[in-house]
Amino acid sequence: MSLAQELHYIGPALALFVGAGVVLFADVLSGRRAPRWGLTLAALAVALAWTFVLAMDGDARGEALSGAVRVDAFSIYFAFLLVGVTLAVVLCAKRWADSIEQGAEFYGLLLISAASMVLLAQGNDLITIFVALETTSIAQFIMAGLARTDRSAEAGLKYLLTGSVAAAVLLYGFAFLFGMAGSTSLPVVAEYVASAPESGRLPLLLAFVFIIGGFGYKMALAPFHAWVPDVYQGAPSIVGSFLSVASKAAGFAVALRVFYTGLGGGDSFMAEDWAIFVAVIAGLSMIFGNTGALLQTNAKRLLGYSSVAQAGNVAVGFAAVAAGSTIGPSGVLFFLGTYAVTNLGAFIAVHVVAERLGTEEIADYAGLSRRSPALAAVLSLCLISLTGIPPTAGFIAKVYIFNAAVQTGHDWLVVLVAVAVVNTAISAFYYLRWVRTMWMDDPVEETRFQPAGAVQVVLLLSGFGVLLFGVWPGPLINAARSAAETLSIL
Amino acid sequence: MAQADALYVDYLPVLLAAIVGFVLVFSALIGSRLLAPFSQEREKGTTYECGMLPLQRASTNFGMRFYLYAILFVVFDVEAVFIFPWALSFMGIGQFAYWSMVVFIGILGLGLGYAWKKGALQWR
Amino acid sequence: MIPIENFLILSALLFAIGFYGVMARRSAILILMSVELMLAAVAINFIAFATYLDADAFSGLVFALFVITVAAAEVGLALGIVLRLYRERRTANVDEADSLKW
Repeated sequence: MSLAQELHYIGPALALFVGAGVVLFADVLSGRRAPRWGLTLAALAVALAWTFVLAMDGDARGEALSGAVRVDAFSIYFAFLLVGVTLAVVLCAKRWADSIEQGAEFYGLLLISAASMVLLAQGNDLITIFVALETTSIAQFIMAGLARTDRSAEAGLKYLLTGSVAAAVLLYGFAFLFGMAGSTSLPVVAEYVASAPESGRLPLLLAFVFIIGGFGYKMALAPFHAWVPDVYQGAPSIVGSFLSVASKAAGFAVALRVFYTGLGGGDSFMAEDWAIFVAVIAGLSMIFGNTGALLQTNAKRLLGYSSVAQAGNVAVGFAAVAAGSTIGPSGVLFFLGTYAVTNLGAFIAVHVVAERLGTEEIADYAGLSRRSPALAAVLSLCLISLTGIPPTAGFIAKVYIFNAAVQTGHDWLVVLVAVAVVNTAISAFYYLRWVRTMWMDDPVEETRFQPAGAVQVVLLLSGFGVLLFGVWPGPLINAARSAAETLSIL
Repeated sequence: MAQADALYVDYLPVLLAAIVGFVLVFSALIGSRLLAPFSQEREKGTTYECGMLPLQRASTNFGMRFYLYAILFVVFDVEAVFIFPWALSFMGIGQFAYWSMVVFIGILGLGLGYAWKKGALQWR
Repeated sequence: MIPIENFLILSALLFAIGFYGVMARRSAILILMSVELMLAAVAINFIAFATYLDADAFSGLVFALFVITVAAAEVGLALGIVLRLYRERRTANVDEADSLKW
């Protein structure tokens, strides 16, 4: 393979990495009084990365860089998703980034983090996966601690300490996988697992438990979720929106990659063991997330618990993956796509309110519909979609993923879906209470406000997306399905 | 068992070196005890025989600057670990590996330049 | 040769000690040191497997190198954040950093 072709395969990540370097150096070289180039350069880099993604051939399947990365419909799907989210975050961050001393560093770290996530979805080797995971994590640790507040530093420290423990746990699992398969390359691992002797069951299960522990942290699944509410609340709200959407999507991407491409997914002789384990974790996440969210009064903290519960929903599809269902992985991909649009809208709306009104308390959202009708409408739409009420994207996603689980025909997956449905009812309570506060309660103050132009565009697009995928989900489902089909390589 | 014996034979030089080391050090200590003159003045008892008298407790806070330097040092120092395996196998891996390392060191250099320009190396 | 089980047991013990330290210690610095123990355990595992499996399994050795470098980067960053927190609060204990409900 020629060098140009290899570079084309990692083009999106490369554009983001180089963009990060340019942003950082433009800042130190331009001196104090020069205009802030950060936003322009970062937006250019992300746009370039997106062009690279769009220029990729959707049917391409191959390895690059001596097998370190793999390009297929799956990696392109996630590259599109992650770069899109990054673009939205860059566009919404201007006001906040200008207000802090380290605006350029923020853009640089954001790009580094996004680039590593794109690589993470492409990872074809345990070493690549580990290095990409750590690069994106370290950039996120700094971003969480970037604001000059006490809480932000505390969030950064907690995120870092829990994150490094999770990395060590993940690595311990990787070490056993390497010890059994004799290679860090996922295709070789897949070959080993496909022909593994019965005596390999116990060590493989051990490796699986450690690996799901490490990835579960990134996906914000219980019982590895303790950091989520703290970090979402303490980190700057724009960083929180990036974490809650992109970091979670990348976590699921790499977990799918390792379990499907590396461990044989539903075809493996251990699929059932893994699936039961994932199902328990999914149930715990939904229960912990929803009961935790019931009592919250802080908007960001509530979204943190809600994100744990939503991760549980996605993990239902994950459990179906390992139980041999073919629509399971496409369900995960489709859910993540709609979740990205929905949660990004909700979190950015919270970001705008925090910035304009200086409050994160849900009680202060009273009468938001009169003060900023469009903002309240988009936020309400996103919350309704998170609950899973038609005609929004969240409804279709939940139906799709629960259907995938039921169709496998396992009794315990039906039980899991029942748990999920009960949890949806619980979640309706706190999501809709918030909506009611916005529309029914009287505002303390009547002054109207409007978010900046670019933020308006992002909010409207996400509101539009929530409705669009709610009534016309076909194209996204097709994309998710063809992406999921490229996952298995044997 | 024969294998294990061979293993221990490999470590014989280590044992010899350890014994010789102990003998040398102790003979030096005991020899100076026996042969050298001793004075019992008060000055001999202080931490530093010459120089300033220690006045404070040993556990004072260091300036933050020291930590910053230490962190920078550790990061750059550990990156050098990649250069060793590269250097060991340099003859067998060809052009591509050479240019990869040039790029790697170039990126490290850029990082150093960034830290310099940001003023992290300035002693304030 | 020393049997590979010995290395695996050593690394399992180190990992467990590190994990205990993470759970039991309150100072952020001590937690970091415990995490380092866990990462060292992982590196021992990789090197042991790479040595015993077969002569071509270099990727295990390379993985150990990456573990070491990433650990250094993480510690560097953690020290930076701890220093910042210390300047504001005069403490490096995680359970005194409780302005967020933990």
